Amino acid sequence: MSATVSRPYFPDYAANAPTKHHFSPYADNGGSIVAIAGDDYVVIAGDTRLSAGFQIYTREQNKLFQLTNTTVLGCAGCWCDTLTLTRLLSARMQMYEQEHNKTMSTTAAAQMLSTILYYKRFFPYYISNMLVGLDDEGKGCVYSYDPIGHCEKAKYRAGGSAGALLQPLLDNQVGLKNMQGIKSEPIPLERALAILKDVFISAAERDIYTGDGIHINIITKDGLKSDSFQLRKD
Amino acid sequence: MINPTDSFGAPPLWKNGPVPGAFYNFPGSNVDKQHISQHSQAPVTTATSVIAFAFNSGVIIAGDLLASYGSLARFRDCPRIMKVNDNIILGAGGDYGDFQYVKDFIEQKVIDEECLDDGFKLKPKSLYCWLTRIMYNRRSRFDPFWNTFVVGGLQDGVPFLGTVDKLGTAYEDKAICTGYGAHLALPLIRDALDKNPLLSEVEAVALLKKCMEVLYYRDARSFPKYQIGIITEDGIKIEGPIDVNQKWELAHMIH
Amino acid sequence: MFLTRSEYDRGVNTFSPEGRLFQVEYAIEAIKLGSTAIGICTREGVVLAVEKRITSPLMEPTTIEKIVEVDKHIGCVVSGLMADSRTMIDRARVECQNHWFVYNERMTVESCAQAVSNLAIQFGDSDDDGAAMSRPFGVAILFAGIDEKGPQLYHMDPSGTFVQFDAKAIGSGSEGAQQSLQEVYHRSMTLAEATTASLTILKQVMEEKLNSTNVEVMTMTPKGLYHMFTKEDVEEALKNVAPLEHSRGDTPATGSGVQAKTSSA
Repeated sequence: MSATVSRPYFPDYAANAPTKHHFSPYADNGGSIVAIAGDDYVVIAGDTRLSAGFQIYTREQNKLFQLTNTTVLGCAGCWCDTLTLTRLLSARMQMYEQEHNKTMSTTAAAQMLSTILYYKRFFPYYISNMLVGLDDEGKGCVYSYDPIGHCEKAKYRAGGSAGALLQPLLDNQVGLKNMQGIKSEPIPLERALAILKDVFISAAERDIYTGDGIHINIITKDGLKSDSFQLRKD
Repeated sequence: MINPTDSFGAPPLWKNGPVPGAFYNFPGSNVDKQHISQHSQAPVTTATSVIAFAFNSGVIIAGDLLASYGSLARFRDCPRIMKVNDNIILGAGGDYGDFQYVKDFIEQKVIDEECLDDGFKLKPKSLYCWLTRIMYNRRSRFDPFWNTFVVGGLQDGVPFLGTVDKLGTAYEDKAICTGYGAHLALPLIRDALDKNPLLSEVEAVALLKKCMEVLYYRDARSFPKYQIGIITEDGIKIEGPIDVNQKWELAHMIH
Repeated sequence: MFLTRSEYDRGVNTFSPEGRLFQVEYAIEAIKLGSTAIGICTREGVVLAVEKRITSPLMEPTTIEKIVEVDKHIGCVVSGLMADSRTMIDRARVECQNHWFVYNERMTVESCAQAVSNLAIQFGDSDDDGAAMSRPFGVAILFAGIDEKGPQLYHMDPSGTFVQFDAKAIGSGSEGAQQSLQEVYHRSMTLAEATTASLTILKQVMEEKLNSTNVEVMTMTPKGLYHMFTKEDVEEALKNVAPLEHSRGDTPATGSGVQAKTSSA
């Protein structure tokens, strides 16, 4: 097909080799994930818009995947990779449970995800992953990843299409960065949820790949609770 | 790979540098063509939009009968709404050859299941998930099936509608349109479903016909003959060819 | 007896009409030729002790290694064919490291035993994984480790069967030693008591005279993890072991005798 594309002809550069494929195995399906961890809780939220370019595929796509009672994964990016990765993960969670007679801890799941991603270093899963859960002491923790498995533990993180937009906002509102005369205190769950909703409302205003609604997962020692919230749909 | 015989020869002056008898080694000019296989890089004979949505008691899918060869309206009787079994219908867009290949594959799968004679039948979600894997597998081999499939059906009495594209991207929704349909028909359907989420079958058919009409006026690769597939508790109906109700009176404004 | 077996004792995949796999049973017999090893699990930790057979005064005793580290938190003692044991220890080490690599956590002792068991039963026909082993491993292993469930001791035999024990003896003197262990063991044992008990019992069942060069001792504790006894450590521990009133080659001391010695330590 490439032969039909008209372009200047430079004989010196004419190679007898095949031209590059037009097919790209990746798609950017958008979506944003935000997570905030506290001393005894962790919350994660993902918007429900699945899109490609200017087209909205669906307005109600959940991007949060529960791995265990205390671990949830949020995925944004290439949706076909997300579908595959999360299927692989749930299989691995079950295999671990059967092989070792215990449920995988959040830290173990975090490390496993990193290795799974790196095993596809040269054909990566194009996903911005965010894994949250409670650690062995019951403290909330957030692990964020790049597509090839670099893993970083954090207290709060924004990822996906509006990640760059929201991270400075979280730095200010959650991390209380760049402010004077502010006493750093751990933020309560209610405040975290309020911030979460506020930042998604802001993201939906500026980012066309974020909107329609959000799904929220709240993990505490009492278990996992779900919530949802509507965003603008244009 | 290091070729042991090469190590006895002189090393090149520099990478991609001049060699006797040639000015320069341009990138790719010395690729061994024997070890390269050609994959389907682009669709050839293509079908345009598929339109589908769920109504109160089932799912309705439509697609026209044209298979285009580029801008040429090449084949004009190419049905692409397929009855898979008693509870699944499938619509396809994109490369018609790839669709026929996958269609044969699915039909064989259904026959194999029939042979088991265990009373179990493939369910819509199973076919949908299976297609997801097939499509993702092929995209991962850089040899995709250039199609978008729309799977409709009744899963335990509840209408199911899902789609899978050439990458394996898959989602479920109440209304799904592919190709130009996503731009032209989907807003109409979403609007109608917002106003009345539980359309009757009659209303659904009317809405669908309106969509096919709009698509025919604006999509240059569309065709005025199409098929409709409807799945309800009563079974599957595939109707057609249906003609688009064309009204060109307004064309007197156009010169 | 031997004649009736001959039809079925060659192939490792052939059951006898009574439903037995003779090659596996023979492999278990091979353990009974091995040097005696003892493991005791207490609340404080696990102790492993094993005799080294010094068959020649010209032999360098430190090159006999029967207790080895599998990971920081798992150690094991082997009895039987030492060469076979190396393969199994290799697998245990690789599995532990792989578990740490993938999950960033210590492998549980049970999972480690399971992993080695998977290797142990790969005798028989070759499959997709490649060529098969022609015979079962002639090795019994005691795994001593610390994980989230605390100190643990697992025993595994050539059939790949692995079972958790409070105290277990393997090798040539295992029958007598196991009997003694049963009498000595109690749940509130300290690690020091267990060390003394293991050496005392070893002393009873060994043909050689027990000293600091012909025994290996290791403790596994939550704090110190894998700790191999130095020659000095062993000498220190041997001070608590009462001298045997029986002469060499006698049957092991009765249970009450062992208990009295332990309590006096």
